[in-house]
Amino acid sequence: MLEARLEQANLLKKVVDAIKDLVQDCNFDCNDSGIALQAMDNSHVALVSMMLRSEAFSPFRCDRNIALGINLGSLTKVLRAAATDDILTLKAEDAPDVVNLVFESPSTDRISEYDIKLMDIDQEHLGIPETEYAATISLPASEFQRICRDLSALSESVSIECSKEGVKFNCQGDIGSGSIHLRPHTNVDKPDTNVEIDLTEPVSLTFSLKYLVNFCKASGLSDQVKLCLSNEVPLLVEYTLQTNSYLRFYLAPKIGDEE
Amino acid sequence: MIAHSKFFAKQNGTPPAPQQSKLSFSTKPKANKTEVPAEQPASTPEEDVTGEENADTAAGAGIQTDTDGPAMDVDSEVASEAGKKRSAQEEETDDDDDDEPPTKRQRRRPAKEAPKPKKGKQKSTTKAPPKTKKVAPVKEEEPSDGEEEVAVEKTATLARAPKSSPAEEGEEDVEEDALSSEEEDPKAKAKAREKMQTTLKAKTKDLYPDWKPGEPVPYAALCTTFSKIEMTSKRLEIMAHCSLFLRQVLRLTPTDLQTTIMLMINKLAADYAGVELGIGESLIMKAISESTGRSLAHIKNDQKEIGDLGLVAAKSRSKQPTMFKPKPLTIAGVHRGLMGIATVEGQGAQGRKVDGIKKLLSAADSRTAGKAIDIEKDKGGPSEAKYIVRTLEGKLRLGLAEKTILVALAHAMIYHEMSQNGKTPSTTDLAKAESILKSVYSELPSYEVIVPAMLEHGILNLPENCALQPGVPLKPMLAKPTKSITEVLDRFEGKDFTCEYKYDGERAQIHFVAHDADMTMATEVPNAGKSDRGVSNIFSRNSEDLSRKYPDILGRLPTWVKQGTKSFVLDCETVAWDKVEKKVLPFQQLMTRKKKDVKIEDVKVQVCVFAFDILYLNGEPLVNKPFRERRDALHDAFVPVEGEFTFAKYDDTNDIDEIQILLEDSVKSGCEGLMVKMLDGKESSYEPSKRSQNWLKVKKDYLAGVGDSLDLVVLGAYHGKGKRTSWYGAFLLACYNPSTDKYETVCNIGTGFSEAILETLHQQLSQIVIDRAKPFYTHSSGNKDQPDVWFEPKHVWEVKTADLTLSPRYKAAADEVSSGGKGVSLRFPRFIKERDDKKPDQASSSKMIAEMYQKQESVTKTKGPSVDDDFDY
Repeated sequence: MLEARLEQANLLKKVVDAIKDLVQDCNFDCNDSGIALQAMDNSHVALVSMMLRSEAFSPFRCDRNIALGINLGSLTKVLRAAATDDILTLKAEDAPDVVNLVFESPSTDRISEYDIKLMDIDQEHLGIPETEYAATISLPASEFQRICRDLSALSESVSIECSKEGVKFNCQGDIGSGSIHLRPHTNVDKPDTNVEIDLTEPVSLTFSLKYLVNFCKASGLSDQVKLCLSNEVPLLVEYTLQTNSYLRFYLAPKIGDEE
Repeated sequence: MIAHSKFFAKQNGTPPAPQQSKLSFSTKPKANKTEVPAEQPASTPEEDVTGEENADTAAGAGIQTDTDGPAMDVDSEVASEAGKKRSAQEEETDDDDDDEPPTKRQRRRPAKEAPKPKKGKQKSTTKAPPKTKKVAPVKEEEPSDGEEEVAVEKTATLARAPKSSPAEEGEEDVEEDALSSEEEDPKAKAKAREKMQTTLKAKTKDLYPDWKPGEPVPYAALCTTFSKIEMTSKRLEIMAHCSLFLRQVLRLTPTDLQTTIMLMINKLAADYAGVELGIGESLIMKAISESTGRSLAHIKNDQKEIGDLGLVAAKSRSKQPTMFKPKPLTIAGVHRGLMGIATVEGQGAQGRKVDGIKKLLSAADSRTAGKAIDIEKDKGGPSEAKYIVRTLEGKLRLGLAEKTILVALAHAMIYHEMSQNGKTPSTTDLAKAESILKSVYSELPSYEVIVPAMLEHGILNLPENCALQPGVPLKPMLAKPTKSITEVLDRFEGKDFTCEYKYDGERAQIHFVAHDADMTMATEVPNAGKSDRGVSNIFSRNSEDLSRKYPDILGRLPTWVKQGTKSFVLDCETVAWDKVEKKVLPFQQLMTRKKKDVKIEDVKVQVCVFAFDILYLNGEPLVNKPFRERRDALHDAFVPVEGEFTFAKYDDTNDIDEIQILLEDSVKSGCEGLMVKMLDGKESSYEPSKRSQNWLKVKKDYLAGVGDSLDLVVLGAYHGKGKRTSWYGAFLLACYNPSTDKYETVCNIGTGFSEAILETLHQQLSQIVIDRAKPFYTHSSGNKDQPDVWFEPKHVWEVKTADLTLSPRYKAAADEVSSGGKGVSLRFPRFIKERDDKKPDQASSSKMIAEMYQKQESVTKTKGPSVDDDFDY
């Protein structure tokens, strides 16, 4: 039996919106610590990992481990029916064939209820090791989104170079090239605009902008985004959610330049 | 599997290429900080370093994995519980199981071995799955691999090499080329069988190491076989590879046999099921681009250069590494994936097809992941991506004929069955199995029915369990062309034979089962085929369902089936019919009908069925009966209805003059010529799918006077594909109009060229390429009708044609024939030779072409002077 009440239906809405273009079907793994999701895109180049800890819900009850195999397209359709400030309750049996979503309006007495049919998705759990990265960059999520969007107009890939001076996003395209340089920056009044770089070793990696632009759809979830890089290791893009929850994207770097 | 227990360690593990392997989380941080927390995959750095060094020197897959093996273990101890358990288990299985995939096995090898193997380089680049001790006879790169210590291996190499390769290859080399050229020769066949038998006896080792019995067949195993097949053009060798592989499948996972066969013949389902992938080159290119992170422009460029999307895909693999590798592909999984792609319908279907392709492609070559595939070597080797793309394109290009697979299947099956009783089949056994399977398959060309029946009842009992059944179309019998009537007489000397009109329509097979028959149709029946009498369906010569094209034929079927006829399979020709003049219309008329979703009320071109053979009647196959009996049965079972159903006109004469008159009459009445068929005896039975000596065709083209050659000017060309990559594959030809001083396009031509000619033509013509068409070229402006390159008018070629027809794509003599902008075009043009002696303005004139066309038309036109008006059906 799963019952999870989320004060803000909007949170789930944004999460699903952010990942539905990468992943079509996936399992929501529910256990007593919360609801987790992990999936790769069709080409196995990117990986999405979401964790909504039980503390994010009130109340949260999950008696045994349940995997809810959901088509994200269907989930989007249903979530569209929820108002932003609705209270969302997720319910499922122990061996469910549907997941039940209840939207309660906090101001009126309107209650709407939807069932989504579940599917069996053959998905293994992929163990992601905790890794110490050579460079960790925190920057405003909107800034990162802007960088990706601007550079994607020029090229298909971006190289991210991080050194003591700062971080440089650089791209070469048919029409020309572009680069954006960010220096560490602290603003006590507006911590949201901080750019922090924690570096143990300079790194330089190239990534597909198409995927990064896709990740940036999560910008609405958090003010700041954290980029973690090590040479020749997948990039981690993390959006921190409240109560220790997170939405993480991993992206395998590109090898070599196009011929 | 292992692959999934570690994050990027996995990437480090399996893939041999240095680039990919670097994709480990661990390398840098560890190298830098020694006080790394316990959680970190602590192991990898040193291992990696050695791994990379080795990779540099030896670049062996094995090596890389070797060094990584221990790394993973350490890893798992410190890492999560789950990880630990997993790898521990794997460790165990590895040790017990000799049949593990090779990648796993290698991990067991102690790291110290790593630097040794030098030959590793070769093996790892050519062979995705490194060999275990199972060594295929034809492999030379083998020896350095395997379980034994290197020292042992070396001696083994020496011992093995001379034994296996010459024994297998040497002999075959000598014989086979001769054999394949005369494959019909029974002597050669017997020899082939003998060869097969010795091969079978020789305890040949499988190409691909055994997988666990009962587990799905790895797709890599099939690709390894494919690659071997691709590397040879010797039919016997190909057959041996197929048979060997099928035996392995039979031994380990017989349930996958059917799917394996389907993938080998590159069909998702039997033809009549009408399952089509519906994927164009552009969709495949899109999928390749998206799953490899290369831009579409690069892919397109490569395609132009390489000409084989399969190789493009194989080459493109390594630019964008993946995160976790998906499970290795299995044969069943690939088939399921392809079926999914084929059956996607509705909104966004194209996008979902691309997704499906991406999924397959990203899972492809997971064992060799990231390693750049050298497409120059071994034609790309056993790359899964290559074969997936080729499968999607519908062309495997292996030189693997379906017939070969059938024979290989028969051999594999009989060997498998007999070896279970500890026996080895003799050549006679092989021959028996071969002929049984061949004859059953020719009557019932459906592996979906045959393979399960064969597995259940055994190959020798197949005829009792599988026979011709209405609903499953069989491949029609075909006729051998002849050049003259005297040739016909030579062939049938002293025998009774008959001459039938050869109608110029579409070959069709009509299947019918009455409601009161004690049987049912073997396949689903379209709505159009349901009537109060029974159910019916109509199939093309390629076994495609034609019910949506000819609902009118099926609708009228009850009127010409005699009462008492319960079930039948009819071989016939559908011909366009002029109701007013009561005569047949040319083939081009028939082709103007819609191909699909024809509504009976909209039919403008009436069609008459000309029946000439019956293969099955009232529950009994007739294929083995003499033709005279079949023809009698045919005439007894149906009633001719004018303009709807009739029997092909024939004459049982053997007088050369009468035949000549009959031939002329047939041509006059709109037929293509005559079919000459044996009447009695075993030779007159119906041989499905065979181009038989017992049916000969005498076409009007072969009559003197028709089929003149033309001299035409080359104006443009299309880039070649496949074999013709890097040359021009087809050319645009034109005739000359002296009154306007313009060149008018007349046809595209692609046949009649040898490779040598194509090469010289390419050299010659690429000198005179021009940017755009000259203003004095009269050509169609349609986008699809533009050649890839235009030439100066310089070269004149002699071209033969079967027929002339009108086409909107060409402009020749358009004014002369005044048919609304349509020009005259050649049907089946064939290149004869270059005419160096002619200048472009001496080419055939459009006036001449117009005259030829009008002359031809006057023969077929209703009110033409030479038509025999008394003639009726």
